Amino acid sequence: MANQFKARQQHYRRWQQKPIEAAFSVLILSLILWAVWSTGSWLIAGADWRVVTHNLPLYAFGSYPADQRWRPLVWMAALLLLTITTLSGDHLPQPLKRLQPFLPWAWILMVPAGVVLLAGSANLQAVPSRAWGGLTLTLLLTTASGFLALPMGIGLAIGRTSNLGLVAMLCRIYIDLMRAVPLIAVLFFGQLLLPLFLPVEIEINRVLRAVMAFALFAAAYVAEDVRGGLQSIPRTQAEAAAALGLNASLTMRLVILPQAMRIAVPALTNQAIGLLQNTSLMAILGLIELLGISRSLLANPEYIGRHLEVYVWLAGVYWLLCSGMALLAKRIERQGRLSTSS
Amino acid sequence: MSIAIHAQSISKSYSDDHRALDEVNLSVNLGEVLVVMGPSGSGKSTLIRTFNGLESIDEGRLEVVGIQLDSNQDERQIKRIRRRVGMVFQQFNLFPHLSILDNITLAPIRVKKMQKKDAELRAMSLLSQMGIADQAMKRPAQLSGGQQQRVAIARALAMDPEVMLFDEPTSALDPERVKEVLDAMRTLASAGMTMVVVTHELGFAREVADRVLFMDAGKVVELSDAKTFFSHAKEERSRRFLNQMTN
Repeated sequence: MANQFKARQQHYRRWQQKPIEAAFSVLILSLILWAVWSTGSWLIAGADWRVVTHNLPLYAFGSYPADQRWRPLVWMAALLLLTITTLSGDHLPQPLKRLQPFLPWAWILMVPAGVVLLAGSANLQAVPSRAWGGLTLTLLLTTASGFLALPMGIGLAIGRTSNLGLVAMLCRIYIDLMRAVPLIAVLFFGQLLLPLFLPVEIEINRVLRAVMAFALFAAAYVAEDVRGGLQSIPRTQAEAAAALGLNASLTMRLVILPQAMRIAVPALTNQAIGLLQNTSLMAILGLIELLGISRSLLANPEYIGRHLEVYVWLAGVYWLLCSGMALLAKRIERQGRLSTSS
Repeated sequence: MSIAIHAQSISKSYSDDHRALDEVNLSVNLGEVLVVMGPSGSGKSTLIRTFNGLESIDEGRLEVVGIQLDSNQDERQIKRIRRRVGMVFQQFNLFPHLSILDNITLAPIRVKKMQKKDAELRAMSLLSQMGIADQAMKRPAQLSGGQQQRVAIARALAMDPEVMLFDEPTSALDPERVKEVLDAMRTLASAGMTMVVVTHELGFAREVADRVLFMDAGKVVELSDAKTFFSHAKEERSRRFLNQMTN
C-alpha cells in the first residue's frame, strides 16, 4: 500500500517537474482522439458507400460475363479454402491432417487451375482474357508471376554462386540489369513494345505478357534473397555432404537449398507482398484489375466525387490480402523452424 | 599386410611462404588405427582431409583404398574414394533440417541407391550400436554434442566404409561428453575398422592406437609404434610435445 502511494506520488511529481512533456502528451492524445472521431463519423455517417456496395461483383470479377461469374468465384473460394487449411495447420481435424503433405502441390496447382477455369476449356465457354478483371485478375497476376519467379530466382541464385564463370557472369548481368530498370518500364516493354517486335501472327495474351514481365522482374529480386540464404549456409555442410559421396547437384538439392530457402522466407515474403501491390501498376497499362476497375467506376458520372470511399475500400481490400500473405509466410517460417531446431 | 592409405611425398601450400604439408610419406595398413598428433597448425587436419579429397595436394602421390590421386584432382576418382571412406568432423556437421534418421539414410539412399526400408533398418541398428536409437526422430539441434557426434559416426558408417577418418572428433565437446564418443570409437577399432584419428586425447591414443604419427610445421617428425611413442619417443620435438600435454 505504502509503495503504491509512493509510486503515485512520484508520478504526479513527474508531471509537475516536466510541464512541457505533460502538455505534449495532452496535445498528442487529443489529436489522436480527434482523428479517430472524425474518421469514425465519416465512415459511418459522412461516406456514401453505394459506390462500393452496388458494385461488389465488379470489384470481384471485373467485366467477366455475368452468367459465368461462378468460375472466378470457385477459384477464389478454393484459394481462400487453401489459405485457411494451410493456416490451421496442426489444428486441423484428424481426417484432413492426412492431406497436409499435399498442400504445397495444391498451391502450385492453383495457378493452372485458375487459368483453365477463367479461360475456359472443353466444357467451359471460352472467355477472352480481355474480360478478366477485378480482384480475380489481381490474385491471378500475383500467384502466377510469384510461382514463376520463384524457380527462376532460385536458378539465378544458384547460377550466380556457381563456379562456372560464364554462367555466374550471365546471371549477375541479368540480375543487375533487372534491378536497374524500374518495374513500370519492364511492364511497358511487355505490354507495348513486345508486340511490335513479334510477327503479326503471333499474339500473346495480354495477361500472359503481364505475368511474364512481373515474373522476369521479380525473379531478379528473388535471386538476391535466395543468394543471401545460400551464402549463410556454412561451407562445412557442403563438405559433410561431399564426404558422404553426394555429388554437387544432390548436395545443392538436398542439403544446401532446403536450408537456404528457410532463411530466405522472410525476405521472400516481402517480395510476395510487394508483387501483390505492384500488380496495381497494370491499371495504368490497361488491365482492369482491382485498381483498374475502381478507376473505371470513378469515371462513371453516377459516382463522381466518390474517390475517398473507393480508395479507402481499396486500401482495406489490399490490407486484407497482404495480411493473409503475411500470415501464410509466418506459418511457413514456423514450419521451417520446427524442423531445424526445437 | 595390405595397405589402406599410401602417401608418397605429398606437399601442399596455401601461400608461398607457408607449407601446410611438406613431403609427407606414410602408409596406413588395413585394420590399423593411426593416431595423428601435433601442435595446432602442424598440418594434421590438412593431411587427413587430403585422404578423401577435401583438400587437394600440390605434389606427390596418394593412394587411398587402391585408388590413385595426384595433384590434378580427378573428380571421378575422388568420388569413388568418398564412397568407401567415411569422415567425422570436429563440428559434427549434421544436416540441421533433417531428422537423425534422415541424416543417416540420406547417402545410402541417394548414393548407394539402397531401398529406403533397408537403409532405415541399417540406420536404426547403427543408432542402437551407438546407444541412441531413441533419438532417431529428433533433429540434430535437440541432441547433446556427444550424441550428435555419435550420429555423425553412424552416418559415416552407414555407407559401409573401409576406412574411417576422424578430424578432432572430441575437440568441440564438453569434457563430460568426450568419453561417450571415445567409447564408440574404441568399439569401432576393436571391430577391426581401419581408422585415422587426429586427436589430442592422449589416453585414447595410448590405449587404441597401433601407431602414432607426430607432425610439426607440415612435416612428419616421427611415425612410431604407439608403445614406443609414449614410452620413449625417438625425437626430441615429440618428447617436448608429450611433456607439454601431460603437464
